[in-house]
Amino acid sequence: MPDAVHASAAAPALEVANLASGYGDSLVIHDVSFTIGCGEIVALLGKNGMGKTTLARTILGFLPPRKGAIVVCGNEMTGSTPDIIARNGVAHAPQEKAIFQDLSVRDNFRLATADDRTFRDGVSRVFAFFPFFEQRLAQKAGTLSGGEQKMLIIARAVMMRPRLMIIDEISEGLQPSVIDRIAHVLRHERETNGTAMLLIEQNVAFALAIADRWAVLKRGEIDDVGAVESGAAASIADHLSV
Amino acid sequence: MTEESTIASVAPSTPSARAGVERLRRFAAVLGALAILVAAGPFVLDTYLVNTLIRAFHYALVALTVDILWGYAGILTFGQAAFFGIGAYAAALVFTHIGFSPATIALAIALALAAPAFVGLLLGWLSFYPGSTPLYASVVSLAFPIVVTQIIFSGGTFTGSSSGLVGYQVVDFPIEAWFWVAGGGLIVFGALAYVFVKSEMARVLVAIRDNEERCSYLGINTPRVKILLTAALAGIAGLAGFSYANFSAVVAPELTGFVFGTELVIYVALGGRGTLIGPLVGTIGIDVLSSYLSGDLPYVWKLIVGLIFIAVIVALPNGIAPLVEAAWRRLVHTRRATGSERPVGLSSKPVAAVSTATLEIVGVSKSFGSLKVLEGINLTIVDGELVSLVGPNGAGKTTLMRCVSDGRERSSGLVRVNGQDIEIMPPFRIASLGLGRKFQTAGIFESLTVAECLRIACALHDQPSFLRSLEQLALPAAARLVIDATGLAELLSREARFLSHGQKQALELAMVLALEPQIILLDEPTAGLTKAERARIGRVLIDLVAQHRLAVVLVEHDLDFVREISSRVVVLHQGKIVLDGTVADVVGSQIVRNIYLGAGHA
Amino acid sequence: MMTVTLDIVTTAVLLFVVATGLLVIFGVLKIINFAHGAFLTVGAYGALVTTAFGLNPWLSFPLAFAAGAVVGLLVERLVVRPLYGRPLDAILATWGLGIVISQFITLGFGREIQFAQSPLSGTISILGETYSAYRLITLAIAVAVGLGFAALIEGSRLGLSARAVIMNEDLARGLGIDTYRVRRMTFVVGCGLAALAGALITPLSSVDPNMGVPWLINAFMLVMVAGSSFLSLALAALILGGAQVVVSSYFSPILGGMTIVLLSAVVLRLRPAGFGRD
Repeated sequence: MPDAVHASAAAPALEVANLASGYGDSLVIHDVSFTIGCGEIVALLGKNGMGKTTLARTILGFLPPRKGAIVVCGNEMTGSTPDIIARNGVAHAPQEKAIFQDLSVRDNFRLATADDRTFRDGVSRVFAFFPFFEQRLAQKAGTLSGGEQKMLIIARAVMMRPRLMIIDEISEGLQPSVIDRIAHVLRHERETNGTAMLLIEQNVAFALAIADRWAVLKRGEIDDVGAVESGAAASIADHLSV
Repeated sequence: MTEESTIASVAPSTPSARAGVERLRRFAAVLGALAILVAAGPFVLDTYLVNTLIRAFHYALVALTVDILWGYAGILTFGQAAFFGIGAYAAALVFTHIGFSPATIALAIALALAAPAFVGLLLGWLSFYPGSTPLYASVVSLAFPIVVTQIIFSGGTFTGSSSGLVGYQVVDFPIEAWFWVAGGGLIVFGALAYVFVKSEMARVLVAIRDNEERCSYLGINTPRVKILLTAALAGIAGLAGFSYANFSAVVAPELTGFVFGTELVIYVALGGRGTLIGPLVGTIGIDVLSSYLSGDLPYVWKLIVGLIFIAVIVALPNGIAPLVEAAWRRLVHTRRATGSERPVGLSSKPVAAVSTATLEIVGVSKSFGSLKVLEGINLTIVDGELVSLVGPNGAGKTTLMRCVSDGRERSSGLVRVNGQDIEIMPPFRIASLGLGRKFQTAGIFESLTVAECLRIACALHDQPSFLRSLEQLALPAAARLVIDATGLAELLSREARFLSHGQKQALELAMVLALEPQIILLDEPTAGLTKAERARIGRVLIDLVAQHRLAVVLVEHDLDFVREISSRVVVLHQGKIVLDGTVADVVGSQIVRNIYLGAGHA
Repeated sequence: MMTVTLDIVTTAVLLFVVATGLLVIFGVLKIINFAHGAFLTVGAYGALVTTAFGLNPWLSFPLAFAAGAVVGLLVERLVVRPLYGRPLDAILATWGLGIVISQFITLGFGREIQFAQSPLSGTISILGETYSAYRLITLAIAVAVGLGFAALIEGSRLGLSARAVIMNEDLARGLGIDTYRVRRMTFVVGCGLAALAGALITPLSSVDPNMGVPWLINAFMLVMVAGSSFLSLALAALILGGAQVVVSSYFSPILGGMTIVLLSAVVLRLRPAGFGRD
């Protein structure tokens, strides 16, 4: 992964326009449009089955869009394959099957970088955030605890020095202390490297703690948007309640 | 569950009866024409061609068996040659070592049928078992002829080893008679095969090919079907081998080898798998061409065939026959039907006596190694309940569905369906206890029509016919309810692949109901449906529970839908039941709110 | 006794080299290369050609690998890649390819069984028994190849990427790994390995255009029994290869030829997961 050259402040990190996609005959995402500015953190909220992961997979190139366009830092990415999109500065922190269970922690990190020099630089930054990894490089990733695995996912994404991070339900099942640590890392990345983020979440408190703006996805469409300010939590809770 | 259900049949409409007679006439005409050609053959063709054709006719018969296995049932086999060879060797061995008389001829015929059939059973048992893959079955079918050839090589003078057996006394027919026997036999078998592939039973084969898992959840013992089919076609190939051993008066190990087995697969692929006529013409054509060309360029010809084969697989996976068919249709300007041309009559089965349903889940747990997905699940569901199973992703909902419908899944605990302990029963047996399962991704049979899909779903209670094709479909009331409500009753002749997503979901639900279960499990039935479709499914489910007294369990994410239709809601979280109560209980619960809004946990 | 033991080890190691190529292609590309036996045959005839041209017979090994790799590259481009996503058709097409390759060989060399000159003649005395020197060298080379391959897959970047693709291709792609390239390289190396094994085998027995097929079947059965781990493949090769040698030596060579197939079929029928770790 070449070090991402930071785009000019003008080009938004992500532009999605009239996106539609799905599986087989069904359409899960119907007409989604939104923009994430350079260095901006946007929270995408919504209940299960509303299409959040499908949207992420479409943006990342795993699912071909039926309609619409995807532009990453000014580059047209609609229909590109996932490895090309990743090499263009997009890092994915998946919700499921997110690490190589049978590989060591070190090997999981190595796969995030193109060569071993970048690996050494990257891994030292990881140690600054999560010092405990320094002792655990030889450990099989599948034997880490749930929280440690999630930190591995974030650390790996950070190592890729992306312009845009798409983070899918990272807080699921985590202790508050671990959530705080991750929040700190994400904020730091945004401040230092201007990394933009799409934070897909069901944990509203966590999302609002770090996001600049929020959007609610309901049945494959953006139902409501807003800036993160007082009163946001209440309107969101209405959308997500049982 | 064997209930005798009298089918309240509707009298076939007259146009369909007339069409049937017309079809029969056309069929007889074609057979008659072919018979005339065969009868005339020896008198108009030269001896070399007649000899070649006799051999080609034998091979074509075996190729037809390969096509039925591969093109219809989806079983790619290189082993049919070995069965042909076993039949041929049976004849040669009997005539060489026992002698030649009407008794030994009868013995040889019996052996040529029985030995391959028995070996076919064995091969089927080795290849088709729950958990085997088509790849594995194909490789076993490739190893099989090699093993048979090796056995022949090691047989010394008894089997003739690598030189084969020659000089045994044979049934003495003049060459014209052989032409009629071989050609006639091919026509007869071809006709039978044609009738068979149009029958209801053949639809079962296609269904197994399209979606084997769906078939086992409809109560069909799929390994058994495949094993019996293999054995039956092995016997037929053996019989052809018997005939060939008499015609050629020499048998060699090459007849049982994988090279011949491969050639058959190539002929079928080039001709067009699943068309019968393609493999038939293809085999005869290539074999005759080979015998003329390979004199001049022996290995080059094989090379060319190999290259064409690769090209066809890459570019034309369905072989040449469909292209020819398409060109013919354009030439003759026939309209291409989108499904079967025969309209299917629909009728209802009489309403079965209302029986009680119970699903008992006691202490069920499921772990993958050290990862506990389900822990100590206790749940009892009875008829008349519409239970929704909800919970965040990874809570274990689908795992629970699997543990209930497949006896081999759970790590511990007990499941009883209608009072019967499921132990480690595979899905097809649990289906026969009265449990139906609908999958999230609509599990239908893409190549079959709506009516045919439903017929397969009825197979557990109504044995499919080996001869008749589908003309009359008798559905239980619950299935009838669904297809009437969703408009599928008008689409009976449409191929399932052309249905919309919502229609496929409805079809699968109707298929599950055609099984006449007392308990149904539905995995996200509203996934991908429009608002109107969702409302309709909701009403259907309520009806099923109220009028037909089923027990319905759904896994759902759409909480509005859950709120509207459920009589009871069970909330699952991290593998445990967190709440089991009415809709009101769950809506008002703080625990549930926390789970869904993610307040985090220790 | 020593002879049988050495035979077992030699057979097992040769089986391992052949099966490894098949396993790595299966793991990364998710298809079974039915032309694997044909690549073995290409390597075998390559060795024949090398000695016929009077070149140093030791050169036949690297040349065979190279020949296999080059043909593999062509095949991947023309046959395998168009069938990405159609695994059963890919298997059929590679089977057809195997036939085409063996026909080319038959055209070029004729159908008869031929014998290649062994690079090393004579015997060596080991623990009181004499054993063919060439067989010992073969054993050494094959072990070296096996270890070299293990080093490649465990140590190199390509090996790491390949292991990642075997475990989770989507995740690998999401990290920016060009999985098409990984597939191509894997196929090339797998075919090269098969050809190399062919060159090693040649002086030990004879060559004929269809010699690869039994090796393909045996290697396939080993792969199925072993699951996805190279370690269990080595174990399977040792146990089943050993059984083959024992049956051939003490009962009949023909029965021995079928041992691996029959034993594997029964093992898989009774324990569908094979020897692989859960």
